[in-house]
Amino acid sequence: VANGTITDVSVVEYPNGNGRDQEINARALPVLIQETLKAQSADIDMVSGATVTSDGYLESLQSALDKAGL
Amino acid sequence: VSAAAPARQTARFVEHVMGMPISLALRGRHADDDAAAAAWAAVMGTLREVDRVFSTYRPDSFVSRMGRGEIDLADCPPEVADVLTLGDAAERASGGAFSVRLPGPDGRTVLDPSGVVKGWAVERAAAALRELPDTDYCLSAGGDLTCRTLDPGGRPWHIGVEDPADPRRFLAVVPVLTGAVATSGTAHRGQHLVDARSGRPPSGVASVTVVARSLTWADIDATAAYAMGAEAARWLETRPGRSGLVVWDDGTTTTVEPVV
Repeated sequence: VANGTITDVSVVEYPNGNGRDQEINARALPVLIQETLKAQSADIDMVSGATVTSDGYLESLQSALDKAGL
Repeated sequence: VSAAAPARQTARFVEHVMGMPISLALRGRHADDDAAAAAWAAVMGTLREVDRVFSTYRPDSFVSRMGRGEIDLADCPPEVADVLTLGDAAERASGGAFSVRLPGPDGRTVLDPSGVVKGWAVERAAAALRELPDTDYCLSAGGDLTCRTLDPGGRPWHIGVEDPADPRRFLAVVPVLTGAVATSGTAHRGQHLVDARSGRPPSGVASVTVVARSLTWADIDATAAYAMGAEAARWLETRPGRSGLVVWDDGTTTTVEPVV
């Protein structure tokens, strides 16, 4: 992470071609982020979290991603 | 991710149902055309119908009426029995920490399938997206999501895991080609985050994120693991095909690797 931007997200790779690709693809591991990130600068598509409700939506990271339309 | 890769064209859609924002990202052939709009309408139609049947906030829903003893399971749409069967399976798998029958304030048991319904409903709603040819999707309901990537060598969806101590921050990123991610924590509306064995909220754990093939089970397992408090990570490690992240009260984390 440099200047608040993810420059390299390591993607865990699993072997392909064993007929269980889809299942294995679901076994992606969370990669911890070491610095504070803002939604606008992070190469993130969607938010998983416990606080995303309609009441708090406009203030949420998910809302920022949806508006950015990336 | 290659530097020469073309710019991604991702279309986004947002609507609200069940007190939650439903966010959809589409990329590929039908990301932003009439077929995409029709699939999105079908997704929202499914979720609204589920809300009418299952909502514990609506006094006239089948589940509310059954909870008051006005109707029986046989009077409900068959999906209600499906969901209760899932709830029973989750109760067995979690040693009773998860249950759709929770101890109420007056000591009586309250029927609340909300812990099963959300993930199950979104998985079901995503069927309309699976019909879109040559199109990848990521569909989220209030922070629980399911995605598909058709090209096994393609760019995975990057799922940011919210920091439970500061929802303006991401704590981790999960790269998912095809699969589901669900997170349970203290602020989850419409979900009674208690250990069903005691009726009390768990201690020691701030949030649990689970990655699984189906959102139905990612959501159930995130809720069940959270309800177990200090046992969250140890239990999740026993669950086949799941991986995840447990964030503890003190801000430390445990990454759970899948059972091989």
